[in-house]
Amino acid sequence: MSAGVRARNESAWLLPNDGTRTNHRLRRDMRRFGDDDQVDLVIVGCGAGGSVLAQRLARAGWRVVALDAGPFWDPDTDWVSDEAGSHHLYWTDPRVIAGADPVPLGSNNSGRGVGGSMVHYAGYTPRFHPSDFSTLRDDGVGADWPFGYQELRPYYAAIEQELPVAGEHWPWGDPHGYPHRPHPVGGNGELFLSGAEKLGIEARVGPVAIANGRFGNRPHCIYRGFCLQGCKVNAKASPLITHIPDALAHGAEVRADAMVTRVGIDERTGRATGVHYVRDGASRFQRAAMVAIAGYSIETPRLLLNSASPRYPDGLCNEFDQVGRYIMVQGAPQTAGRFDAEVRMYKAPPPEVSTEEFYETDPAKDYKRGFAVQTVSPLPITWAEHVAAQGHWGRALRDYMSDYVHWACLGSLCEFLPLAGNRVTLADETDCYGLPVARFAYSQCDNDKALLTAAQHVMEDILTAAGADEVITIKRYAHLVGGARMAKDARHGVVDGRCRTFAVPNLYITDGSVLPTQGSANPALTIMAVAARAADQLISGARGGDG
Amino acid sequence: MTQGPPAAPGPRGRFPGFAVMRQAPHWDEVTALTIRSRIAPPAPRFFTAAEQATARALAGQLLDQPHDDLGVPVMEMIDARLADGQTDGWRQEDMPEDGQAWRDTLAHLDSDAKERFGAAFADCDGREQAAIVQAVQDLGSRDWHGLPAGHVWSLWTRYACTALYAHPAAWDEMGFPGPAYPRGYKNAGVDAREPFEVRDARPALDPVRERR
Repeated sequence: MSAGVRARNESAWLLPNDGTRTNHRLRRDMRRFGDDDQVDLVIVGCGAGGSVLAQRLARAGWRVVALDAGPFWDPDTDWVSDEAGSHHLYWTDPRVIAGADPVPLGSNNSGRGVGGSMVHYAGYTPRFHPSDFSTLRDDGVGADWPFGYQELRPYYAAIEQELPVAGEHWPWGDPHGYPHRPHPVGGNGELFLSGAEKLGIEARVGPVAIANGRFGNRPHCIYRGFCLQGCKVNAKASPLITHIPDALAHGAEVRADAMVTRVGIDERTGRATGVHYVRDGASRFQRAAMVAIAGYSIETPRLLLNSASPRYPDGLCNEFDQVGRYIMVQGAPQTAGRFDAEVRMYKAPPPEVSTEEFYETDPAKDYKRGFAVQTVSPLPITWAEHVAAQGHWGRALRDYMSDYVHWACLGSLCEFLPLAGNRVTLADETDCYGLPVARFAYSQCDNDKALLTAAQHVMEDILTAAGADEVITIKRYAHLVGGARMAKDARHGVVDGRCRTFAVPNLYITDGSVLPTQGSANPALTIMAVAARAADQLISGARGGDG
Repeated sequence: MTQGPPAAPGPRGRFPGFAVMRQAPHWDEVTALTIRSRIAPPAPRFFTAAEQATARALAGQLLDQPHDDLGVPVMEMIDARLADGQTDGWRQEDMPEDGQAWRDTLAHLDSDAKERFGAAFADCDGREQAAIVQAVQDLGSRDWHGLPAGHVWSLWTRYACTALYAHPAAWDEMGFPGPAYPRGYKNAGVDAREPFEVRDARPALDPVRERR
C-alpha cells in the first residue's frame, strides 16, 4: 500500500527521519517566483483545500504559488505540548459574532499558518454518507450537491491512504475499510464502547488520520493527547506534512506570512489577474493566470466581499447575493459522565470511538437528518469551560476540576441545516490592514434544536449505561463549512461542481466554504477530497480556467 | 444549578506527592520554557493600579483563590493577554473588544460595590464580593450596566479559567501531568496509570454526590 502512495505523494518520505520534524533543506531550496512572473495558479490559503490543490497541480507541472497569512510552521520550535501555549495556532484577528446563537471562532474552528485548521483539528476523518449529497431531494431540507457521493468516492479512498487513516471497518454510509488498523483505545473510549454495547448501539474505533505504525519517515503516535495543540510527533496528519512537502519537491512555492487583501480583476474582461497581498508590511501583487481561494468559510467570503470593484460593486461573485450565505456549524453538545474509576481521558487520540447509528433521517422522529457521537477528551482549560458552563464558580468550580481524572466525555456532531441568513458580511470595524473584518451571524432553526436535544439524550444514556453516576452537558459548536457553496447555477450558489466561480471564469474556490451540506461528519477529509477532485478536473482541462 | 462559594470543605490533597514540575526534565525545551515563563509572568502592563486590585479580587472570587491560594498569578496572566491583544479571535457584537470590556466591567463592579457596601470592590470582604459576583451571574442574559450579563460572565470566566488551568499548581490539584512530549503515555485505559501518575487518594469524593 505504502509504495502506491509514495509514487503519487512522497510527502511522508520527504520528512526527516532523525528525530526532527521539518525538512529545512526542502524549504530553503524551494522554487521562488517573482511577483511579475505570471504563474499558472496562485492559491490563497494553505489548509486542507489549498494544500491538496497545490500538491496535485505542482505534480502535473503547473507553476503554483500558495500564499498563507500565517507562518510556515516548524513543529520542533513553534509548537508546544500545552494548551494555553498553543494560542498562536488559531486565527485570532478581530471578528464579530452575532445572531440568536452566536458561534465562537478562534480555537474552535479557525486555523492560521501552513496546514490551516488541520494543524489543530482532532484528526477525525469520517466520510460523508451518500445521503448527504441529496438531502433536499430525499428529505426536503438542506441542499443537493451538483454531484453525488460516487463522484467523490475514489478521492476519499486516495486521501485516506495519503493521510493515512486508521480505524475499524466502517459499516455506515458507504461501508469501507481503512488503510491502517485501529489505534488502542483509552479510558474514555473504553467507557463509550461499554455503554454502547449495553444499549445495543453499534460503535467503532476510528477513523483517525494518525498513522498506526511508521509511515514513511513519520513516527508512531505516542498517545500524548495534545492532538488539538499541533502534533509535535508528525504522527497526526495535516497538510504541512501530508501534501506540502511533495508540492515543494515538485516546484510549488509556499509563501508564508503573506496576507491576501484583494483579488485583482481586469475591469474590461472581468477576469482575475492575480492577488494583492501584504508581506513584511509591503503591499505586493502576484500575477497569475488563475486564482484559487482556500481561506475557509469566514475568510473566503470576506475576501470576495473585500474585492469589490466597479465591475463587481457588491463584491466578487456576489451578483445574486450568495456570497457568505449558508454557512453551517455542527451543533456539538458535549456530555460528560462521572465514574469512581479513573478515566484519565487526556491519553490517546481525543476522538477515538464513535457511532453513526443516528446519522440518517429516522422517519419515526419529528426531525430530519441526524447526528454522530464521538469521544472528545478535553484538556484542563477546555474542561474548565465545560464545568463553568454548569454555572459553577469559586469553590464549586475548583472541586469539580480536582475531580478531572474521573470524568469521561462524549461529543455529538449534529447536522445543522444550511440557512440563507447564517452568513458572513462585513463589519464597520477594520483590522490591522485597514480591511473590514467579518461579521458572522448564526441562528438555529427548530430542526437544529431538536437534534441537539436528541443527541444529548443519547450521550447521557451511553454514559449512564457505562456506569456514570452523574452527567453534565455543555452546548457548543464545531467546524465550519459553506459560505461560497456549490450549486447548479449562480442564483443558488457561488461555484459550480468543479469549484469554478460562476462569475469569474479563472477564479476557483477550493475549501470547506463550497460544501452545500455537512452531514454529521468532521469535514476535513471531504474538503480534501473535493479539492483533489477539482484538481483532477483542472489538470484534464486547459490552464487559465477555460477548459 | 448554580453554586457560589459555599462553606463546605473542598476536596484538596487528592494526589499526595504529585508535582508536575518534577517532570519538567522530561519535556522538550520549547514547552518547558513556555511553562516556566508562566510561573513568573511580567508585571502588569494593561490594567491600572485600581483595575489590578479589582481584577485580582474578581479572579479570587471566581477561582476560590482567597480560601485556598495556589499561588497562581491569575490577574497578571490576564493582564499579559490583554496587553498583547491575545483575544480568543472573536467578540460578541453587543460587547466592546475584550480589553475595553475588561476595563468597563471592572469599573461596573466598583460602582456596584460602592452602591451596595460603600467601598471599592477590592476593599469589600469576601462575602460582599461574592454577593456582587453572584448578582451578575443571576442576571443571566439580562442587562448589567448596558451589557448582557451572560456575555460579561463568559468573558470573565474564560480569561480566569484559561489562566488558572494553564498553571502547573492547578494541574497538581487535579492529577493532570501536563506536557507529554516527547515522553507520551504508555498506559491508557480505565484505572491505568503511568509510573509518574498518582492515584486519587479519595476517589469516591465526587463533587456531585457531595452536593446532593
